[in-house]
Amino acid sequence: MQRNRPPSAQTISVLRALAADPAQWRYGYDLATEVHLKSGSLYPILVRLADRGLLETSWEPGVGSRPPRHLYRLTPVGREFVAALTAARAGRTVPHPRSRWSEA
Amino acid sequence: MPLLFILMMCLLGIGIAMFRRSPQAFLDGPSEDMPTRLLRWAAGLLSAQRAEWGQAMLGELGHLDGRIRRLRFTLGCVIAVLLLPPWGRAAAGVWAMIAVAVGSVGLYASVAIRYGLGVGDWVAAAILVVFLAGYLLAASALLRRPGVAIPGLLGGLFVALAWLAMRGFTFYGVIGTIPTMWEKLALVIGVPLVVGAAGTLSGRDAAVGRRVARLAAISGGLGLYLYATLAVAVLGAGGPPEVTGWTVRDIVSDRLANNLIDLLLLSLVTATVGWAGAAAAARLRGRPPAPTLPGPFIPNAHPGTGEEV
Repeated sequence: MQRNRPPSAQTISVLRALAADPAQWRYGYDLATEVHLKSGSLYPILVRLADRGLLETSWEPGVGSRPPRHLYRLTPVGREFVAALTAARAGRTVPHPRSRWSEA
Repeated sequence: MPLLFILMMCLLGIGIAMFRRSPQAFLDGPSEDMPTRLLRWAAGLLSAQRAEWGQAMLGELGHLDGRIRRLRFTLGCVIAVLLLPPWGRAAAGVWAMIAVAVGSVGLYASVAIRYGLGVGDWVAAAILVVFLAGYLLAASALLRRPGVAIPGLLGGLFVALAWLAMRGFTFYGVIGTIPTMWEKLALVIGVPLVVGAAGTLSGRDAAVGRRVARLAAISGGLGLYLYATLAVAVLGAGGPPEVTGWTVRDIVSDRLANNLIDLLLLSLVTATVGWAGAAAAARLRGRPPAPTLPGPFIPNAHPGTGEEV
């Protein structure tokens, strides 16, 4: 059974960082540095976002001895979710990400 | 003296097994740095549907420089891997072991307070907590390996029942029985060999057998430790053997310390001899035809997918 909890503050900060330039693919470590999260917190958040269809992933081919690198950006559903989240905050209404969170 | 001999034999056995597994790596040392090896091990614990995320962490680590930065990133990822769902059956096993470990520590603390034990016993309690945390971490990793959870837990039950059966299933037996040489041989050699061999036969792989032996060592050791601590809590200084010149506090303290040593020795011996049993069963069973394993995970450049070659 999937729990319909509102996103945590850390999840929201990751979503906002991704939404700053939604078309751009981001690296995991850079994202973690930007939102001041440890890798142990970031990756479970990314996994949950991808499971809910808010995040899409891709691979950047490896160069030389460097391995391929995972990339992340918001899906259209993810962008809508962040927009709804921002609107709810701006309107100072009771945020309703619960339903959106579970729909995603 | 016999304990030291058993310890030395176990360490020798581990050394031989590591040499036989990879002689070049044993002599030359690892070819990858510690964070990469640690993260590669952790990524192997992820379920098939999460394998891509393990590769993502390894890929990210490959682009990080600086020893401290790499180590911090790796430790975070290892914690993430160990906590990442889905757990399936493993969750029940881990919760059961946590309950046994917490129950044991709680009993130890209650006995220590009740009999007013000294600083040395509280230091032993701290050592116990460190060991139990390590056991639980190892168990959480082993339980997530395919084909290990049920045989490993059943193996642990078998180990614990064998030890208790030799002691008559009584608290007095656990505290006071000194096993004969044949009983020692059966418990220290026979039972772990059977567990390791059964693990190999059930998983059709020596690696599965070794993991089953390790999980059986941990779960059986934890179960017996809880039982033995309960015996001390119930009996206190009562029951055999008769000791003259010792205070109640001395006797209880001695019994708690014996339980801790038994826990460490039992798990070490069971894991090591079980390892040998698993290897022997694989050898006797003969080498199966080379399976057509899927190739290494090669990430591609298309969103959200990775392909296996």
